[in-house]
Amino acid sequence: MVEELTPLDCLLPSALLRACADGAANHLHNITAGDCERFLPDYISGDFDSITAEVKAFYADKGCRLIETADQDLTDFTKCLAIMLQEIETRKLQVDAIVTLGGLGGRFDQIMASVETLHHALPMTRLPLLVIQGSSLACLLRPGSHRLRVNTGLEGDWCSLIPVGGPCQTTTTGLKWNLENQVLAFGKLVSTSNTYEPVPSGDHRKVVTVTTDQPLLWSMAIKNGE
Amino acid sequence: MELPITFITSPLETVKGMLHSGVAGGFWVESPALETPARPHHICVRVNEMHRERFLPDYISGDFDSITAEVKAFYADKGCRLIETADQDLTDFTKCLAIMLQEIETRKLQVDAIVTLGGLGGRFDQIMASVETLHHALPMTRLPLLVIQGSSLACLLRPGSHRLRVNTGLEGDWCSLIPVGGPCQTTTTGLKWNLENQVLAFGKLVSTSNTYEPVPSGDHRKVVTVTTDQPLLWSMAIKNGE
Repeated sequence: MVEELTPLDCLLPSALLRACADGAANHLHNITAGDCERFLPDYISGDFDSITAEVKAFYADKGCRLIETADQDLTDFTKCLAIMLQEIETRKLQVDAIVTLGGLGGRFDQIMASVETLHHALPMTRLPLLVIQGSSLACLLRPGSHRLRVNTGLEGDWCSLIPVGGPCQTTTTGLKWNLENQVLAFGKLVSTSNTYEPVPSGDHRKVVTVTTDQPLLWSMAIKNGE
Repeated sequence: MELPITFITSPLETVKGMLHSGVAGGFWVESPALETPARPHHICVRVNEMHRERFLPDYISGDFDSITAEVKAFYADKGCRLIETADQDLTDFTKCLAIMLQEIETRKLQVDAIVTLGGLGGRFDQIMASVETLHHALPMTRLPLLVIQGSSLACLLRPGSHRLRVNTGLEGDWCSLIPVGGPCQTTTTGLKWNLENQVLAFGKLVSTSNTYEPVPSGDHRKVVTVTTDQPLLWSMAIKNGE
């Protein structure tokens, strides 16, 4: 079973559905200052212990739905994702991928919580779930084979395969340092600071293929348009 | 199953004193033998023009593909050793740590812990590479290896039982236990949400945004104990002196 994914084709401006998880709304409000109305989320969900009263009122006033989710065991991110999947189904939206902006920096436990949400997402949906922050992108590859097209021009140089949850029997092609049915595992072998197989100047990069027997985190550099 | 090994570590009491060794982009701190619990020291280091000479590393190691010629010349000129390590399979951080452990042994230094400043932010693969170095360090040394950046601290707990004293006044509110690398059978005390012989594993249960067991106002926090059967990453908030 082969899954195709071009990580950056989905960074196109037309999102069918937009949401914020709690305090993310503060951040959105802040970075879109002066132009907030062009970047309204469809809904903001969470336990609302991070969003400020001011930001909450602002978006409520603009018609954004506020959905309170009180479950202590799941993070705001996971709960927000669950709601999004419900909405996609209810509204029968044709969605290619879900992209999360933020989650790979700041508090270290929250970075790890983002990775945990990626794991929780695997049984929740077949849609690719990408997390992007700064010049890093992360995507959890489910067990099986994957083809990653890395020629949109938005890819940076580094890439990596990180067996966060446990050992992964892995085979790759298209990388500078490929794996040949090797076990990736913390304490043994983790592929970081990898890059793409060199090609003659002017040629497109080869497709990257990754086969894994356990969920395996793919992370790569992106050019984040600054 | 009882694991008889107990580690006593107070994550922030051990950080004091002089900066001794460096890797391009980070500094290591050695501390002399632990004295009686003293006033906590701020661990934020902001180095500017006037202070550079107070913060010279003993050595800079790596493959030198990141350090600038100017910086390299500056430190060489001040007498810092430059140690080139060409191993492609290990990160600069891991190689620097190996050298540090050699130096500690050669010079017979009495060291309580190794503290790394930086490594938990920026490129995501490099954050993960820092965690990988923590794993590689387990068989290399018994010394605690702490990584600190911003208001986060991370320390990999080896299989066994650990006591973490969290009352130096430099601890923030959040803490976490992250089973990077594989499932961990875990028991804790002293946390708000403790684990009772439960399995921590990505996709099942990861303890993030945890905090300390509430105590009456004015009282010290209880000691946190963690027992694990596999290496388990402890990460906590620290007050970084701003």
